[in-house]
Amino acid sequence: MLRLLRHPVLRRLAQAFFVAFLLMVFAFLLIRLIPGDPAMILLGDEATEEDVLAYRKLLGIDGSIPSQFGRYVANLVRGDFGVSIRSREPVLSIVGKRLPVSLWLTVTTIVMTVGLALPLGVAAALYRRTWFGHAFQIGASVMVATPVFFSGLLLILLFAVQVNLAPIAGYHAGFPANLYYLWLPALTINFVLVPVLARILQSSIVETSSEEFVEAAIIRGTQGWRFYWRYLLRPSLAPTIAALGYFAATVVSYAVIIEIIFNLPGLGMTLVDAVRNRDYPLVQGIVFLSGLLVVGLTFMADLVNGWLDPRAKIR
Amino acid sequence: MTAGSPIIAPAGRLRRVEWRRHWRQLNAESRWGVVILALILVLSVSVPFLSPNDPYSFVDQPLQPPSAAFFFGTDHLGRDLLVRVFAAARLDIALAILGVSVPIVIGTFIGTLAGTTRNRVAETVWDGLVNALTAFPEIILVLGIVAMVGADIRGLLIAIWISRWAQYARIARAKSLALRDAEFVQAAQVLGYSQLRILVRHIMPNVFSEALAYALSDFIFIIVIIGGLSFLGLGVTPPTPEWGAMLAEGRLYLRTEPWLILFPGFFLSLTAIGVALLARGLERISKGEDE
Repeated sequence: MLRLLRHPVLRRLAQAFFVAFLLMVFAFLLIRLIPGDPAMILLGDEATEEDVLAYRKLLGIDGSIPSQFGRYVANLVRGDFGVSIRSREPVLSIVGKRLPVSLWLTVTTIVMTVGLALPLGVAAALYRRTWFGHAFQIGASVMVATPVFFSGLLLILLFAVQVNLAPIAGYHAGFPANLYYLWLPALTINFVLVPVLARILQSSIVETSSEEFVEAAIIRGTQGWRFYWRYLLRPSLAPTIAALGYFAATVVSYAVIIEIIFNLPGLGMTLVDAVRNRDYPLVQGIVFLSGLLVVGLTFMADLVNGWLDPRAKIR
Repeated sequence: MTAGSPIIAPAGRLRRVEWRRHWRQLNAESRWGVVILALILVLSVSVPFLSPNDPYSFVDQPLQPPSAAFFFGTDHLGRDLLVRVFAAARLDIALAILGVSVPIVIGTFIGTLAGTTRNRVAETVWDGLVNALTAFPEIILVLGIVAMVGADIRGLLIAIWISRWAQYARIARAKSLALRDAEFVQAAQVLGYSQLRILVRHIMPNVFSEALAYALSDFIFIIVIIGGLSFLGLGVTPPTPEWGAMLAEGRLYLRTEPWLILFPGFFLSLTAIGVALLARGLERISKGEDE
């Protein structure tokens, strides 16, 4: 068993599982932050003894703390994330219902990110000493510092109010009709994401271009697409992909605010509603699952990285 | 005492000279950052002070466009938007500074502690712990904590404190790993100083400068989180003037009165841009890239 861990990918996987376990601990501890008795907070002062006991059971806070944790872990492993206090629906089924919207938003965002950041980063690297390179630096600084809830409103003002290319808010399920509702929210997230990634790509292309194998390729007379992809872009992509994995957490974060601005009925909106309603189990479940999602995405980004750039192979 | 005074006297002038020297060391980016931040700070102090209008009270007909009487117009409750925008600047910047200062101290301390221990098991657990805490999407973790502690300014600050220390700890640990075998640390050990004293007086000051560099970029993030949660109605709530909350209120009039979001949003972004420019400029100076 321990010898298996010498395999780099398996060791990364083991680390990911360890982190997932700690995520579980954090999610479990979250409910401990409530000042006072959660059941009393939810029920008010006039609650009967029986109601309080029933609510404690619902929240999983009856019995000793070790036994609470044991039950929490056992339930999670079986896929039981508890029950929403508000609707009495299992947390997992609520998440399952709302997840597709968030996933569509994420996928649209990432596709758009790659489509925008790749050409922009390459152009910024090739023309970095011209006016374009300087404009790119300034523009990127401004865009990164603009909060999504402001840039989102600006983009609505521009594209939905002035030119009517997108709805102001709302959602309809079903591909490809949903893209009409998703492109503007995705663009808003990319307002922050693309400059960051394009900048990373730019600096790693600049770095790669001074490597000896690039010089060797030029001397051998490699030209055109083969040169740009194989010798310049591919070896430079690794830091960008790693950053994309790193920014997965940021995308998921911003998606929460974006869903509220554009009225998209995804997980973010569910979470904000749950926070407003003090729906503790639902909050706990979504926080844990979002952490798990990021751990998974980071792991995948590491794997892709190893494939793209042999120098960065997981060790 | 009298002997000391002539030495103290020129200190004020010396300090001024020192300021000028610091300014000369800055590059264009960081100078712009300083200018923008100074402008916002001066306006946020002077505008609410000089204006006869109170940020909370009705002054004139609601939803007026910007005019000579009201530079930024009036909002949906007939309040002076100019005064509100800069009263909000004060609150937002103060909250963000509060939000940054606690995690930097806690995180640096914990990170230094973790960096100087030589226990293998502790190191593994530590890595997992920090990785797990930073794996949560930032805003979702803050929302989760706010849900438990309470959706108000206090809850928001507690949530920021709990969720933001890990990055500082990570930086501090990396730096103190390099420092724990340094000669001046060994010297302190030979002198027989206690572990705690070596940690706090000898290692932490050296770790702090790097943590401060990160704090600037963290400041941007925290001011966005404060605005973001208030925008969602889960942080600072109306009628308190706060940029995010003002954006949420103004959003309802987006179609007809866009200046209600343009002014608070512009100054929120400008603050973040100022800090970002300063951070980038300082980073390039410390790397020795220009000037």
